[in-house]
Amino acid sequence: MKKMILLSALTLLTTAAAQTSLSGTVTVWSWDVAAKALQSTIPGFNKQYPNVKVEVVDLGNQNVYDRGLAGCAAGGADLPDVYSIENNEAEVFWARFPDCFTDLNTLGADKLVKNFPAFKWTELTANNKRYAMPWDSGPVVIFYRRDLYQQAGINPAAIRTWDDFLAAGKKLNTKFGNKVKIATIANGQDDEWFRMLANQNGCFYFNNAATQVTIAQPGCVTALSTIKKLNDAQVLATGDWGGQITGIKASKAASAIYGAWYEGTIRTNAPDQKGKWGVYLMPASKAGGPRAANLGGSALALPASSKNKAAAFAFMQYALGTAQGQVAMLKGEGLVPSLLSATKDPYVAQGQAYWGNQKVWQTILGTLGDVPQARGTQYFQDARQIMIVVQADYLKGKYKTAQEALNDAAKKISSATGLAVAK
Amino acid sequence: MTTTLPTPPRARRRFQAAPYLFVLPYLLIFASFWAWPIVSSFLLSFKDSRLGATAPWSVANWTRLAGDEFFRTALKNTFVILIIQVPTMLLMATGLAVALNSRMLRARGLFRFAFFAPLVVGTVAYSAVFRLLFNTDFGMVNRALGGLGLPPVDWLNQPGPAMTVIILALLWRWTGYNAIILLAGLQGIREELYEAASIDGATPWEQFWKITVPMLRPTLLFCLVLSLIGTLQLFTEPALITNSGPGNATMTLGTYLYQQGFRSFNFGYASTIAYTVAAIAAVVSLVQLRLFGRDA
Repeated sequence: MKKMILLSALTLLTTAAAQTSLSGTVTVWSWDVAAKALQSTIPGFNKQYPNVKVEVVDLGNQNVYDRGLAGCAAGGADLPDVYSIENNEAEVFWARFPDCFTDLNTLGADKLVKNFPAFKWTELTANNKRYAMPWDSGPVVIFYRRDLYQQAGINPAAIRTWDDFLAAGKKLNTKFGNKVKIATIANGQDDEWFRMLANQNGCFYFNNAATQVTIAQPGCVTALSTIKKLNDAQVLATGDWGGQITGIKASKAASAIYGAWYEGTIRTNAPDQKGKWGVYLMPASKAGGPRAANLGGSALALPASSKNKAAAFAFMQYALGTAQGQVAMLKGEGLVPSLLSATKDPYVAQGQAYWGNQKVWQTILGTLGDVPQARGTQYFQDARQIMIVVQADYLKGKYKTAQEALNDAAKKISSATGLAVAK
Repeated sequence: MTTTLPTPPRARRRFQAAPYLFVLPYLLIFASFWAWPIVSSFLLSFKDSRLGATAPWSVANWTRLAGDEFFRTALKNTFVILIIQVPTMLLMATGLAVALNSRMLRARGLFRFAFFAPLVVGTVAYSAVFRLLFNTDFGMVNRALGGLGLPPVDWLNQPGPAMTVIILALLWRWTGYNAIILLAGLQGIREELYEAASIDGATPWEQFWKITVPMLRPTLLFCLVLSLIGTLQLFTEPALITNSGPGNATMTLGTYLYQQGFRSFNFGYASTIAYTVAAIAAVVSLVQLRLFGRDA
């Protein structure tokens, strides 16, 4: 017992010493809502590390990616101490620039593995190195307008399959004379719908070993057929990111399907619609089928060129590795934690005023365990660009069946990446 | 009768280092920032840059390009713009230049500035404005169409209309610029030619075709070659207004190159595309000079 006390006293003493000894400035690159979220963890972090100054720079999503690649290509020049990276795009960095980022295991990250779900680590580790720490995730749900659904006589609890969703869309069309659509698809601009539905059905561009193109497999065929069915029934509007927000503000979209991080986007863009919104699980392909998927989600990496690694890692550990840090980001900007202990935080069980006092975080985080693994690989962008076009062509009627469309997509992805098509 | 001129005594040429030393700084910069990248990107086109420094030499990028449907789409889109937008623009610019040159026009300076002004506006800002103007639900263009009793057009989400928006944007931005260059050309034509033609009884229309157009040919050719090279490198408008979409409907060689180079970070393949674009630009410019540039 004495030994224990002595030991813990010693640990306390050494950590205390470490905390005051850390100093200097830590620069963080991030984007939009994510940058604001990181900002909100700084006061808590500074209570423990008063001598470390954290500067979050909001560069915008595209810019962070582009400047990161440029910096790595230039051998680590002009990179920050902490770098935000989307899971889907992460492998481009590890594959092309294996020495650009610090192996976090060397700083003790291997002890944190169990604190996060396995699917979050898939894209962050390569060549036995742990390149980044899991941040938020994007469990997919349907955000919906209670008032519009009610006026059209739709009960969201009864929407269990995509067919139910389609029928609800028709009700909205009839009620509002085609002026209000049940959801918006970025057809021709993005393939997010396909990725969400494919993931739900256990399929993705590539297999989890990143050795084969699996886009023509049955789960993906189901996903694309469903999208076509919804599109042909004319229950969807078309619009890109900005167009979707405009539609929400103008009450022309009765729901939105996205990763849960979209919560903050709706809440901050349409503050006047407070209380009118709610959340329900994404419909399944077949009755009783899985109702979970993941879209997006990010991580934080530590450039090897950082001059202040200890302080940078301390910040990452506080912001991402503690429930306080993660819940601060959830409260402020609706970033969904992937830290398992944060999902048990009392805040998660609270009703949210904007969402009509629904306990949305419980609903959303409840799906986290059902999310099938999917891997972006370093060829994510190639596959995505091809799929955007194939989806648009298929919806336009260029292919006879979803299988035919996806066979073509698989062939194209294979020729762009050099990976074989799965049989 | 032949006379042979006496050849001057040949000056003794000695090698002198000084001139070379003077141009050496320039040569070094030129070699490292111009010549080397050009050579390097050619070498890169024979490597799969995604595999890192150890990638073996191969012609895979070139064979991929030969069968690449996306590249063909980009090429086709670029040529559609080239064939529709460039002649329309030059026609409009010529008309505009003649009008701006007219003595009957008041406040010519103001008009010249007004037509040149689009070029001064930042590309990002003007792209954003075009996106707003052509927004399907809330854009001013569809409002105007509605006012005329016409149905709305889904401008940015349909292939044909999206291409139309790109062409309109390019016309808005570049017509004035070309008009100003042509105006300079017009002002170089001597007034006496027109006076003489009027005395001989030529109508203004005849004067335009027999004097203005032939005299303006070098300037027109200059504008044509510049527009052509500009179109082959076209990037800003399709990237910022339509994001190359919907699908690949407005993807140009420029945006495809960017996508491969900076989104997929596949510099090997991007270099292959770049070299192909450069070759196409050289061939098309040559053909133009041959066709229109006999004595220009």
